Amino acid sequence: MQLFLQNLVNGILSGGILALVALGFSLVYGIMNIINLAHGAYIMLGAYLAWQLFTSFHVDPMLSVPLAFVVLFAFGYVVQRTVINRVVRAPVLATFLLTFALSLVFVTIALFIWTGDTRGVQTSYAGANFTLAGVTVPWAKLLTLVVALVITGLLYLWLHRSKTGRAIRATSMDVGAAQMVGVRVAHVYGITYGLGAGLAGAAGALLTLSYPLTPTMGDPFLIKGFVVCVLGGLGSVEGALVGGLVYGIISSFATQFDVTILGQHLSGTGLQDVVALIVLLLVLIVRPRGLVGRATA
Amino acid sequence: MTEARDVCLRVENVGMRFGGLRALDDVSFEVERGTILGLIGPNGSGKTTMMNVVSGVYKPTSGRAVFEGKRIADFPTHEVCHLGIARTFQVVKPFASLTVRENVAVGAMYGRFGAKRSGKDAFARTDELLESVGLARVAGRPASDLTIPDRKRLEVAKALALDPELLLLDEVMAGLNHTEVDEALHLLRAVNERGVTLIVVEHLMKAIMSISKRVVVLAEGKKIADGLPLEVTSSPAVIEAYLGSRFAKRQQQERERQT
Amino acid sequence: MKAGAAVGRRAGITGKRWVFISTLAIMGLLLFVPSFHNDYINLTFRNILMYAAMSYGWNLIGGYTGYVSFGNVAFFGIGAYCSAVLSKTGIDNVFADVGLALVMCALFAIVVGLPILRLRGHYFGIATLGVALGLTDLANNLDFVGGSGGLNLKQADQAHFYLYYYAMWAVTLVCMLATFFIARSKLGYAFVAIRENEEAAQVLGISPTRYKVIAWALGGMMGGAAGAVFAPANGFVDPGTAFAVDNNVFPIAMAILGGMGTASGPFIGALLLSGVNEILQEKFLWLHSLFFGAIIVLIVVFLPRGLMYLVGLRGGVRRWLSDLRAFRV
Repeated sequence: MQLFLQNLVNGILSGGILALVALGFSLVYGIMNIINLAHGAYIMLGAYLAWQLFTSFHVDPMLSVPLAFVVLFAFGYVVQRTVINRVVRAPVLATFLLTFALSLVFVTIALFIWTGDTRGVQTSYAGANFTLAGVTVPWAKLLTLVVALVITGLLYLWLHRSKTGRAIRATSMDVGAAQMVGVRVAHVYGITYGLGAGLAGAAGALLTLSYPLTPTMGDPFLIKGFVVCVLGGLGSVEGALVGGLVYGIISSFATQFDVTILGQHLSGTGLQDVVALIVLLLVLIVRPRGLVGRATA
Repeated sequence: MTEARDVCLRVENVGMRFGGLRALDDVSFEVERGTILGLIGPNGSGKTTMMNVVSGVYKPTSGRAVFEGKRIADFPTHEVCHLGIARTFQVVKPFASLTVRENVAVGAMYGRFGAKRSGKDAFARTDELLESVGLARVAGRPASDLTIPDRKRLEVAKALALDPELLLLDEVMAGLNHTEVDEALHLLRAVNERGVTLIVVEHLMKAIMSISKRVVVLAEGKKIADGLPLEVTSSPAVIEAYLGSRFAKRQQQERERQT
Repeated sequence: MKAGAAVGRRAGITGKRWVFISTLAIMGLLLFVPSFHNDYINLTFRNILMYAAMSYGWNLIGGYTGYVSFGNVAFFGIGAYCSAVLSKTGIDNVFADVGLALVMCALFAIVVGLPILRLRGHYFGIATLGVALGLTDLANNLDFVGGSGGLNLKQADQAHFYLYYYAMWAVTLVCMLATFFIARSKLGYAFVAIRENEEAAQVLGISPTRYKVIAWALGGMMGGAAGAVFAPANGFVDPGTAFAVDNNVFPIAMAILGGMGTASGPFIGALLLSGVNEILQEKFLWLHSLFFGAIIVLIVVFLPRGLMYLVGLRGGVRRWLSDLRAFRV
């Protein structure tokens, strides 16, 4: 029971950050139909921004989260308006390749500025944790989860209540109709892409609390974000949250998996992603539009 | 029934529901070999659903459609054409990046006699067909470049390439002008004279009346009439379904006044 | 299918004949690469050929059939591990390597393809990515294939090392010719019909499941053969080299650049992209990725439909610019 609870808590804690990563990816994917391979690079840039502020000015990474969001939002907006918008309606593979190339450029620049050395942020509360009903909870991870949930909630409200949010959702349903009722689609796309990058940046800044930094640190998160976003359902805020938590919990429980087949010893700790991916495949086969998917393809 | 009727398709008590929506409700009719059957009805009456059941795209939720003694629902969609049933789509579905000739050739390659045909034979058959439906002049053009009447022709040619015994035509005349409709009717008669049984789904009453030997009328998923074209058009139920109850009543009163 | 739109204005399943003949001619010239007796040149061109073969593999399912896979590296990895395991059991023969890889990849494609090819569009893409990632993790955890430490292979001696080059050349040539002939056969029409409209294809008597699995398996065998030759030529296989991200993305990029759904596209794309990459690497060392990325950005922005679009373009610069404008909002 104790072990079960601990696994559940670990899963939820790591699922929160996955949800945040997937959220930005899912918005861009669902609304603009772009598989944004630069998403990992934006996570990395957000992380290095927080690291730089921490090393140079002793700014706590938690305080850098909103800043990383704003900076990366602006950056993403500019990238969309100047580069991606030129081919935004081209077949999805064109933007797939384009964002891959952009990510290559960003990662190389980061390598130039910060070198390939592994960096880390040592906060005063880095190793601190508390125990509740026998379950150990690290403060940093809990804080990360809370911030991730707050951001997700705010985004949900903004998408459903604000004028721009509604314009974004309208555009995702029908570009032509949105244009006709006066939505400036290029601007909306800029904001959407900016939001994607901003959310990635915020996630990156949060990640510095518990993950080491390298210029390619975004890659595994990009892939997990991709998986989580499809698991939950494309372009849906709730989907990203549910998908992230499900993924986190499954891979947390998968660490307990330990078998020997035909003399081959398989330990769960290395296979947690395999288990999560098998679940993804099963989910897709049973529910081809994801866990909370709606009828947008 | 004294004379032996040569029936090729038997639709028996077919019902089709989508969730709570009943698209077809206990519909039965028969199609004689070599005939032209008109299937009409107002929008949303279940015509296209019926086409989808007969062509094996949908499996009916009750009842069955039997073609030459075989239950259609027992076959996967891609094998229904091997039984000898072909169809056109109301919303035409050309393979946009292929040429007109290649579009039709795909049917000749994988249709009823496709397994026996080499690629070359399929193209030879295609060229005959293109000539007969009047598409030879645009054979090399991409299918996406065609005009509306030519797209409809292409849809018919693709279906004919399957060498069907029964051809289902779903609104092939919609969106055509007068002369184009006449051309289309001419083409359909020619196809029928070659021994192909036709089921023609159409919204245009006039066109369908002139070509059909028998007409089945659907309304809200139910069969409301089945008979010769003239019988059907004078049926009060059909008039009501098409023109509303008030019009039907007025016509009824007029008829009574005259008698 | 969205992917199909990339074929653009070119009508018909077959490309221009002179393009393919030129491609074959260049391929013929590559036969003379080993006569330079230069290891660097050999390696560079062997890599180009390897990427081309993988790109052909992707092109069958992604380009012709319209099912965009993000996991074809799985087949390359399986092929590479087939050779490594054979070497471990004392068999060091390229023919045996390729033979085993073909069988294993075909089996894997059928077993995995039957469930995931029911998915469409992005969902198929993510499922294939999942398959590739799953295999990577599995390879990392199986002691039988060396786990994360990998396996060493016995290599041919220096005097016979060029044999690997010829093997890779032959694999690529077979992929190229197979693609050319498949595209002109009944099989090719089934693939393209599924790409253009699966429902319409079905009504014309094409079993989507059967032909999608065939395309996926044939493509997988191409990638597997490339992996099977790569492993002994490299002398070492671990999950990082067998399932490298580059091996997943580059073949797709090459097919897009050269022209998806064409028999020359993957080879031309591989030649150009690898060529540019090599030159940049030579000139700028590690900063080359910056320029490499920038060049791809420029290519996508100005030629989003790939190079084959230019071959089929009628109407000159004006048409090109107006086509480009259609992609903006």
